[in-house]
Amino acid sequence: MIRLLIPLLLLVLVLIVLHEFDDPAPPADFVFASENEVFTLDPQRMSWLADMRLGYGLFEGLTAWNTNDFSMRGALASSWDTSDDGLVWTFHLRPDARWSNDDPVTAHDVRWSWRRLLLPDTAADYSNLLFPVKGAKAFWQWRSDQLAGATPPDPDAIDDAFDTMVALVAQDDHTLRIELERPVPWLADQLAFAPLLPVHRPTVEGWPDSIDTSDGWHTVEPPPWPDRDFVNIDPDTGRLEQSPLWARPDTWVSNGPYVLTHWRYRRDIRLAANPEYHGANGDMPQSVLVRSYPDPNTALLAFASGEVDWLTGVSADCRTDLLTERAQGTRDDVHARPAFGTDYFLFNCRPTLPDGRINPFADPRVRQAFALATDKQAIVDHVTRLAEPVTGAFTPAESIPGYTPPAGLGYDVEQADALLTQAGWIDRDADGVREDADGRPFPTVDLLYTTSSARFRRMAAALRDQWKRSLGVDAQLVGQDSKFFGADRRAGNFMVARGRWYGDWGDPTTFLNMCRSTNGNNDSGLRSDQFDAAMHAADIATDPADRMAKLTLAEQVLMEHEVPLLPICQVVEVTMFDPGRFDGMTAHPRLVQYLHEVRPREEGP
Amino acid sequence: MIRLVLWRLAQLPLVLLAVYTLTFVLAWLIPGSPLEKSEGRRPPVEVQAAMESRYNLDDPWTFYWSYLDQATGVAWIAGDRDGPVFNFGPSLRHENWSVNEILAGQLPVSMTVGLAAIALAIVLGVIAGVIGGLRPGTHLDLVTHTLSVIGVSIPAFVVGTVLLLAGGVWTGLFPVGGWGSFSHIVLPATALSLPFAAYIARLTRTGVIDTMQSDHVRTARAKGLPDRTVVLRHVLPNALLPVVSYLGPATAAAMTGSFVIEKVFAIPGLGMHFVDAVLGKDLTMIMGVVLVYATLLVLMNLLVDVLYAWLDPRVRTARGT
Repeated sequence: MIRLLIPLLLLVLVLIVLHEFDDPAPPADFVFASENEVFTLDPQRMSWLADMRLGYGLFEGLTAWNTNDFSMRGALASSWDTSDDGLVWTFHLRPDARWSNDDPVTAHDVRWSWRRLLLPDTAADYSNLLFPVKGAKAFWQWRSDQLAGATPPDPDAIDDAFDTMVALVAQDDHTLRIELERPVPWLADQLAFAPLLPVHRPTVEGWPDSIDTSDGWHTVEPPPWPDRDFVNIDPDTGRLEQSPLWARPDTWVSNGPYVLTHWRYRRDIRLAANPEYHGANGDMPQSVLVRSYPDPNTALLAFASGEVDWLTGVSADCRTDLLTERAQGTRDDVHARPAFGTDYFLFNCRPTLPDGRINPFADPRVRQAFALATDKQAIVDHVTRLAEPVTGAFTPAESIPGYTPPAGLGYDVEQADALLTQAGWIDRDADGVREDADGRPFPTVDLLYTTSSARFRRMAAALRDQWKRSLGVDAQLVGQDSKFFGADRRAGNFMVARGRWYGDWGDPTTFLNMCRSTNGNNDSGLRSDQFDAAMHAADIATDPADRMAKLTLAEQVLMEHEVPLLPICQVVEVTMFDPGRFDGMTAHPRLVQYLHEVRPREEGP
Repeated sequence: MIRLVLWRLAQLPLVLLAVYTLTFVLAWLIPGSPLEKSEGRRPPVEVQAAMESRYNLDDPWTFYWSYLDQATGVAWIAGDRDGPVFNFGPSLRHENWSVNEILAGQLPVSMTVGLAAIALAIVLGVIAGVIGGLRPGTHLDLVTHTLSVIGVSIPAFVVGTVLLLAGGVWTGLFPVGGWGSFSHIVLPATALSLPFAAYIARLTRTGVIDTMQSDHVRTARAKGLPDRTVVLRHVLPNALLPVVSYLGPATAAAMTGSFVIEKVFAIPGLGMHFVDAVLGKDLTMIMGVVLVYATLLVLMNLLVDVLYAWLDPRVRTARGT
């Protein structure tokens, strides 16, 4: 019998050892569950909302948003001036700004971080944010050509090239002068965006501790390349290989309201108030814990049990029920907010499909007809059921100060029918099927969606039913895993495909650029001279109001004539927090939540 | 016995190579690239190409050999001492983490939950099995039998959610998901243990019924030994042998992480992230996890064989030890 107990005892022993090995994170003032996991805390490498949310807590950019109306305010820069032609911007940095290791934050930090964003070596998704800076694109191209060359380039040549090519000058430690190729009226807004947050060069490159950077690293000679821990030069290509390992608690240095103290893969991230931060105060949460819940239903249960203070996203299964309860007045902790994003379906504008079939959607009249035959309100009311604002435009309404999106195409079945007839799709032999002049029937429409969420399947099914009813056209649903979907969408292997786009900066171009002929994200294959010209007219406009009016015109061309996509509704985000316990949560569609603006309320009786 | 152990250990590299090769072929066939994001913005084409060449994603042959070289420690022995001995490289989807770090962080978690579940399953299963086996056909037997059928049949996500609601939200006894203290283990280990407990109960019940009818038990009873002594000294050691041989694969299965349990209870274990790695074509992660799991499985089975020989007098005497 003793022998039999031994395996059991062994098990228990191993259990105890394993458990003692573990190191639980201490509780925090503010705990939130991120609906998506955090990929990186390196600002220049960020491209996801969940990463950026933490980025804004850890780092401070030149400017910041007033999150109630998304006007701009100074942050790292206390003020800035703009030349009359809008081409030269001068930012004055706060002299009291410090990194969390007590080094001063200088204009050289910002300049170096932006250079890092521009270097093709960094493989940043957002390099092109800086292309409006004079010489920036040329510098990017120069470095790309260098890396593609036969002989490995000299890494020290980057310094000279950047100095001579790019009009980004640190006039002194606290003054940064930016000269632009063309006016960018929304520059201050763009500079608040996460990829442009400054990083601390000695930390990012892993300089040895023996180097004293307390007057700023620009005052000392950088160590030789082999002495830098986190950057290597690939001997074959000359590429700078940057290790992400600097972004860890034990080496962490940042200039924002918080510093990183714990980060465990897909488990938790903990931030603590940064005592060196110039705006440090006792009202903000002194510690923030981000917990990872892979199952949104579990996150909801954790919120219900009080373990989590803020749910950034609510399980799709429960949204409608929770919002109904709110409408009935039985709960006030669930909040639906129109976001800076649009759910849409993309039309393939290429003349033929990759497999050689004709593509009826190459004709803009067919695209217009399908858009007109879509009853978006019915989809929102009966399918998605989050009371999303329906839209005929791509840019969400009331999200960008000074911009009014066009109305776009409404719901008009008769006009849709007339347009299809005009395009030559007529039921010629009275069999209930439309044929073209050669007698070929209208092909079955491939309607691609991702199987990641039931929402998209239901939306696609509603479109299929509506088009069948109002146009007499058959569509088949093609559900795909996102990997296959992404590949097919990029290759143009679809007729209609679902999409969702979130804006990045406070200007309509953040949406409209996607449809430009040369844009890498233009999966519709639209090549519209008219739209490109309209966008160009806005690009060269100098008066901000005039520019916005021109952009409205461009979007009108796009959404009422070219129609490469069928916008359905503005995305609605559903979040949960108890307004009795926390204040300072943003309700603006841009949905940037600065963690240091959260104010825990004193617990009531 | 020692020959058996050595023979199994000698097979290990061959098993691993076969597993590695097969997994590599299958993983390479997953469409898409681990470096691209399924939705949203894309880096410029040149950048993408450079990244692919950096991680050898443009050449399966180079990837296969260089990864094998690093992961098996050959590179380390040959003098490339930058990384750990068994270097599984960076995760392609989670660039801030090396696969080694992920394994070091997640594997102990999966193992803890798995072992706790197995320990619980043994206790529950053996008790239920003995109760049923000693009084076959009675109401008590029917109850334990019904419970074990339920244990096998209810899907883990239902059990998990019910446990979270009952133990976490309604009563507040246990935390709702997460990891870090003993109370975090209780609910997931319970949920994970149920199917194993049910199976162990059935094995035990059958074993007890069989043994009760055997000659040596009849002799023991005839000697006038009390029932308790008969069951503990003479019935259980024989009745539980099938349970021990089941424990090998069961422990391995429980320890390698349950996708559903880990997801429902928000446990940072390997099972779920392995599934995500496959979906995201995170080649380094897939290969690293598979190699570690395969090693673990081979060693677990070996351990159970040794344990079995040590427990079963027949095997012991047959080998003359």
